[in-house]
Amino acid sequence: MRFIARYAKELKDCFEVVTIYDTKILKEQIDKSKPIIKSISNIYPSAIWFERKMQDDFGIIAEDAFDTRALIQHEHFPTNIHPLRKDFKEKSLQNAKFKEYKYEVIDGDGVFGVAVGPIHAGIIEPGHFHFSQSGERMLHLEVRHFYKNRGIEKMLEGKTLQEAKPMVERISGNESIAYQICLRDIMLKSSNSNLPLGLKSYHAFLLELERVIHHLTDLGFIPNDAGFGAALAYCSKLSEDARRVMQTLTKSRFGFGAIDFTTHFTNKEFLKSWIGNLKEDIDYFNSWIIDIPSLWDRLDTTGVLSKANAIKYSTVGVVARASGVDIDRRDDPFYKDSGFIKALQKSEDVAARFKLRILELKNSLVMMEHFLESSSDTLDIKECKDGEYYSFAESSIGEIFMAIDIKNGVIDRFFVRDPSFINWQALHLMMTKDIIADFPLINKSCDLSYAGNDL
Amino acid sequence: MIKFWKKRLKLGTLTENLEFDKELESIKKELKNSIKKRFAGSLAIRMVDSGSCNACEAECNALSNPYYDLERLGIYFVASPRHADIMLLSGLMTFNMTPHVVDAYNQMPEPKWVITLGDCPAGKSIFDNSYATNAPANNYLDIAYHIPGCPPSPKDIIKGLLEFLKEADLNV
Repeated sequence: MRFIARYAKELKDCFEVVTIYDTKILKEQIDKSKPIIKSISNIYPSAIWFERKMQDDFGIIAEDAFDTRALIQHEHFPTNIHPLRKDFKEKSLQNAKFKEYKYEVIDGDGVFGVAVGPIHAGIIEPGHFHFSQSGERMLHLEVRHFYKNRGIEKMLEGKTLQEAKPMVERISGNESIAYQICLRDIMLKSSNSNLPLGLKSYHAFLLELERVIHHLTDLGFIPNDAGFGAALAYCSKLSEDARRVMQTLTKSRFGFGAIDFTTHFTNKEFLKSWIGNLKEDIDYFNSWIIDIPSLWDRLDTTGVLSKANAIKYSTVGVVARASGVDIDRRDDPFYKDSGFIKALQKSEDVAARFKLRILELKNSLVMMEHFLESSSDTLDIKECKDGEYYSFAESSIGEIFMAIDIKNGVIDRFFVRDPSFINWQALHLMMTKDIIADFPLINKSCDLSYAGNDL
Repeated sequence: MIKFWKKRLKLGTLTENLEFDKELESIKKELKNSIKKRFAGSLAIRMVDSGSCNACEAECNALSNPYYDLERLGIYFVASPRHADIMLLSGLMTFNMTPHVVDAYNQMPEPKWVITLGDCPAGKSIFDNSYATNAPANNYLDIAYHIPGCPPSPKDIIKGLLEFLKEADLNV
């Protein structure tokens, strides 16, 4: 049974803790005056961030958890504030007295700490990495995030799905289309509508285009972090081309506002020739890059996440598949009929994640050609009915899970779990056999989102 | 290897918007003194994300791709605020990032300027104000110039930076 997410919500006279597994959903109602639950982090280690988040957001305590430090509420955050409770209505916070955060560190003779971030040395999102080092060897890494926490869950409460859409699009710029598809599915379910095949294909085309852009960027940046800049120059040219295709189709280079209920395929001939050229360019890239031994010397056997650990930590997406774990939300008849072939790798290292991206990229292009053949469609969405709705989508990083409760026509609780929220928690497992100079390479090979993680 | 050079020769130079080179030449002449004195002909930028969706960062990364090749204009991104003339600030100034942004600003040597990038730090984004955000950024820092957009395209960013060089009062 795979653990997917754990989150809380406030009902009229109790809190409800929802735990989502791939095969079942568990709901526990707990007393507001005594908000205590049993932790599941001893069985599913990556549940720990969910439980720490619940403690910050609602004041719900997982009593036997192995870690009860604040997660989102940093050093200056006011104490005893639980922003996702319904009676919390503040629009701004005052800095409180500095509370020290105790990092997970390894002590001992000659063991020292290296603190990296929150502001990093490149054009990257902020987050903190805390290493315990023995010389160059990484003994342990603690990932500490939520610097970018924007309070999105609270922000969306009281809005209709339509009003929430522009914000959901911008939760994570790299995964905008995937987030929009999650929201689309909830719109469809709550209004009892069926998506015509033409629209479904158009949306799937955009989702694969987003994957192409993201994978191309990574295929450039991963070798660049191993000192092979030529790959970045080559791939960033291709990803810019792909971004311009996104701009042509959706009027936004990131696909903001792209998923509506009309097909907008314009100029199919141009799209076909772009896909054709890109296929050739990728084949060339593949034959070129595979022949650079000094690069593979860095990528091979670096940053290993064993299959057993990948499963234990409930990882998803590229990280999971590169360790041989068979999870992909696109694994359904619609995608299979369009030419979907699940890519899997066995070597569990940076090289596996790199090669997996090449395979997925090629497969995306095959599917996109197929989606181009679809007909034009439109759909009128009827009014949304109140209820609890769930949806999933496979972004370029991995599986997104979204849950929305609608009450009186507006959002009562919004929850989303970015694939990064799970995968960040498995990052430290990949470090133990490598030196600190390999960290940027390993981190980039997973290419996780900070914005989607922090919300 | 031969295959690589064949491909390289066939591709040629991809850089677009060559008019920016000319524009920069004229700016350099106009601001001969201030540029030479202050920046020695170059502009070092420290990019700081205070809670964006990552689209602004992606566009800044795109500035180094072969189409835009920002560094040819003498404008480049540096790894430390202590090396920077400009802080390019994106994001909503989240509650958790605000002290770190101010810290990074304090680390920059004088003279220094802050340019806000995208709608978020100007408080004009589609996001509502929330308990976790402190935008607009001008409550905390003096903002010298603003590049609007959600996100601004790489071309908008280059234009904005050159416009800043022209307009801003660099004779501190």
